[in-house]
Amino acid sequence: MSDEPLLRVRGLEKRFGELRALDGFDLDVAEGRLTALIGPNGAGKTTAFACIAGAQRPSAGSVRFKGREVAGLPYHRIARLGVARTYQVVQTFDAMSVVEAVTVGALLRRPKLSEARAWADEILGFVGLHAKRTMLGRSLTIADKKRLELARALSTEPRLILLDEVMAGLTPTECADAVKLLRSILARGVTILMVEHVMEVLMPLADRVVVLAAGKPIFAGSPQAAAADPLVIEAYLGRP
Amino acid sequence: MTVQRHVAVMACVLAATALFTAFCHDQFLLSLAFTGLIFAVLGQSWNWISGYAGQVSFGHALFFGTGAYASALFATHHGSPWLALACGAAVAVVLALLVGFPCFALRGHYFSIATIAVAAIAEIVVVNTDALGKANGFELPILPPGLASLQFAGKAPYVLVALVLFAAAQIATVALEHSRTGYYLRAIRANQEAAASVGVDARAVKVTAFAGAAAFAALAGSLYAQQTLFVDAESTLGLSVSIAIALVGVVGGIGTVWGPPLGAFVYTFLARYVAALYGGHGRGFDLLLYGALILAIVSVQPEGIAGIARRFRART
Ligand SMILES: Nc1ncnc2c1ncn2[C@@H]1O[C@H](COP(=O)(O)OP(=O)(O)O)[C@@H](O)[C@H]1O
Ligand SMILES: [Mg+2]
Repeated sequence: MSDEPLLRVRGLEKRFGELRALDGFDLDVAEGRLTALIGPNGAGKTTAFACIAGAQRPSAGSVRFKGREVAGLPYHRIARLGVARTYQVVQTFDAMSVVEAVTVGALLRRPKLSEARAWADEILGFVGLHAKRTMLGRSLTIADKKRLELARALSTEPRLILLDEVMAGLTPTECADAVKLLRSILARGVTILMVEHVMEVLMPLADRVVVLAAGKPIFAGSPQAAAADPLVIEAYLGRP
Repeated sequence: MTVQRHVAVMACVLAATALFTAFCHDQFLLSLAFTGLIFAVLGQSWNWISGYAGQVSFGHALFFGTGAYASALFATHHGSPWLALACGAAVAVVLALLVGFPCFALRGHYFSIATIAVAAIAEIVVVNTDALGKANGFELPILPPGLASLQFAGKAPYVLVALVLFAAAQIATVALEHSRTGYYLRAIRANQEAAASVGVDARAVKVTAFAGAAAFAALAGSLYAQQTLFVDAESTLGLSVSIAIALVGVVGGIGTVWGPPLGAFVYTFLARYVAALYGGHGRGFDLLLYGALILAIVSVQPEGIAGIARRFRART
């Protein structure tokens, strides 16, 4: 199975009553690369992340990670296999300090508390949050909460990380920092699948772009080709 | 608080209680101290699951009663009280696993309601079982005093035995705070979804903490039975006991090491005062009062006395 990508999604479906949030979603994510998932609001991107990570149970379809079927496995089991994520709507541990929150993630691979704390500190240095390590999660700015979620996800030493609109609401300077951070995450050998709206951010970063509309993939290819594709333009701008 | 600080406070509390026990000859005050220590252990064990993990139980008396009945049964059938302690704790752990697994599929108020129901079922079962003395309960046979029978002539030795259990519960709690399970419990309380996203099996972690808490509560129940030499369903398994335990946990401050002992101290005096005020006719009134107190604390001062102390320290 050496030619199988790190993540392979086939025919993924998620129904909420009558609504088909995902309706035959296919996706390949190559190891060590950055793949972008884009699409209009309500296309099903966040739902796709939830189904891949195990936060939600897919209604049908297959999710293979490292060559192994994981669709329908409990959330924590998929995390242990090496999938981490951040949330579009931040889900920080409000009552815990920054270093404690990241330690929770670090404890996954390092059961000894002292080792987990040390690793959490290292990750906090990596994402540039070390100065705020004793602050409570609830007292951080949105930008720092997103950084904290990223640190928490990275502290589990994932093979694949799913980033859901990590740059939304950031200032241009913060965005530039975030891009640098993404490059260093890739340099660590972590594969990235990310949802992002700003094409200028994706163009230089992404190896591949997958476009989702109404729960179905309508395009997969290079970012340059995506920007020129009439179907993609139509999905974003609506029918003329 | 750092571990060194906990150890220092612990040493002071142990020394003060031991001195008090050595020099106090007032049996009533000694029995208050015993009750306070028992409730400190109960409140602390409740705190593991309801404080740190935020899964509020109104059925913790289930485990207290398990320990109490274990002691009563062993004493009646000439078994060793030490074996009763071990068996009571073991049965409580098994019960916690059996109860915890389905109940922790529920969250928030639904979990709380389930715990009330389970303890109520246990009470009904006991009240209808001949071998458990039905509603009349048990009198434990009086044995020659000593460590072998775990019965003593005065109250002071009971206080010392309870003090040992209390110390063990405090040490276990400090250890829990500095363990993977402790971090996981707090993460679950903060955000169970997010905890699962970093590999936390919330149900397994909660069941583990619940089982440990059940063992401590059962040990407290056994000691209680050894001291009162009488056990019945209402006073060991009743809703009022569960509510009192929750009150102890909430008054002092949930999710802290020293909150439950503080709460137990306050509760013990409060309970005596309420009992003195209403004599034997106050049945149900205490329940009302404690329930109202819990609601008031949760809405006005959710961090309890420990929270006030922390704020005071932060200001000075
Ligand atoms: N838990 C849910 N229950 C019902 N409908 C949902 C739920 N989650 C998402 N949806 C719906 O599914 C569709 C896809 O949502 P989402 O995955 O959040 O889209 P995106 O992230 O691409 O903006 C939307 O129509 C949304 O309203
Ligand atoms: Mg979304």
